[in-house]
Amino acid sequence: MSDATASPPVGRSKLWQPPIVGLVTFVLMFVGVGLAHTLMVLIEHGLGRPTTLAISPLLGFIGIVMLWYGVKSKNESFQTWIGFLAGIIVWMCWVEFFYMWYGRENWGMLPRMDGVGSGGPLEVSGTYPEYMIMGSTVGTLLLMLCLYAFDKDTRCNMFLWFQDKLGLKEGLGPTTKKAQDRNYAIITFMETFFVTWFCYAWNLLTFDPALMGSGDFFIGINLASVFIATTWAGFCLTRLIQFKRTATALRYAIPVGNVAWVNVEILEKLDMMSHEVFIDPWTHTFEASVLFGAFLTLVVAILLAPKKPSEVGARAKRGEGVS
Amino acid sequence: MTSLRLRIAGMVGAGMLALGATNAAAELLPLPDGMGGVSDIGAIQCSVYSNMIRIGPLGSRLSLLTWAAGYYAATSGKTLHALATAPGQPGGPWDFDRLTTHLVDYCAANPQAVTADAVRDLAANLGVAR
Repeated sequence: MSDATASPPVGRSKLWQPPIVGLVTFVLMFVGVGLAHTLMVLIEHGLGRPTTLAISPLLGFIGIVMLWYGVKSKNESFQTWIGFLAGIIVWMCWVEFFYMWYGRENWGMLPRMDGVGSGGPLEVSGTYPEYMIMGSTVGTLLLMLCLYAFDKDTRCNMFLWFQDKLGLKEGLGPTTKKAQDRNYAIITFMETFFVTWFCYAWNLLTFDPALMGSGDFFIGINLASVFIATTWAGFCLTRLIQFKRTATALRYAIPVGNVAWVNVEILEKLDMMSHEVFIDPWTHTFEASVLFGAFLTLVVAILLAPKKPSEVGARAKRGEGVS
Repeated sequence: MTSLRLRIAGMVGAGMLALGATNAAAELLPLPDGMGGVSDIGAIQCSVYSNMIRIGPLGSRLSLLTWAAGYYAATSGKTLHALATAPGQPGGPWDFDRLTTHLVDYCAANPQAVTADAVRDLAANLGVAR
């Protein structure tokens, strides 16, 4: 897992220009969210649930080891990919599987049920015990986001917007970090983790019948969520399609793809669509294979896409006097 | 005499409870919004219970066993612990795992039955009527 093996060609390309870079990274991240569901299901079925839950804390360390390699790298593109993959693995193992063990096996929580008192068929809701626990972490999430909201060195456009509107810029002072000071492995790792957490919390809050009920208010709130998620992701997409650097576009596409995915979860909850292809790939083998094949093709295409010198560490190497 | 009356009343009550549970499979007492599980755990179809077991194994086992404990107390006047540890039980004393696995296995084998049927089947094995 050295930099050399991950180094893509450096140069220019007529194909990898706006809006192709942004569109490809958006589709990649959007489908990637769905395939992360598939990966989780495959791990659970491959190892068996008891084994998966027992070793999930150890599995999470695979992500940390990957992150260690990524942080040591000088290649921004490599750092970005490693940070993203490590973020997915750690989220899956240290949050989803761990909460699953706590909710289902340790605390003995009962699944939330749909259809009680509504005349519909009685069935297990998609808000499994682990997601009931996750819904309670909103306060912790907001607390952690304060770190970024009040960090003068954050480069996230959303937090910069908040800092501007809240008049924080003067108080926080100018940033002390340059691009070369930033390690994109840890940045992408944390971004992937927090974006995933945020979008889960968003869905779980609007799905919670204790907060939203189960009637018109529930429908209204969730349709409002669809409106917000669509316009938010759409606005960000208009910026994303202007990106030229694949590494930057990948990082920006993580929240755009995830926010767009919020719609999928809501429309599924409202019985308007299904993403069963991602969570039951055995029943939809052909469709799941096509999606996975398309995803892999896009990954390879981006890996092989010509990179700007700054994306593959040329700037850092110059600074260190390495040829 | 009083004890016999109580016992008969208990059996009639339990019978009505079980009959009501069977007939009320589609009408369950709604829980406060947000809670997991169902109130009438003894009145749901076994196929639904099997799905609950898949997602919330431990809690669903305990929930139905608690319902069963009430049913057995009403029909026999004995606690679940007393029934499970009574001398002469074939296969030895029943523990939580053995009791709940019996209920789970019954429902897996009889998806169209209601959970009260599984509880009655366990009752027969526990010798509740003895």
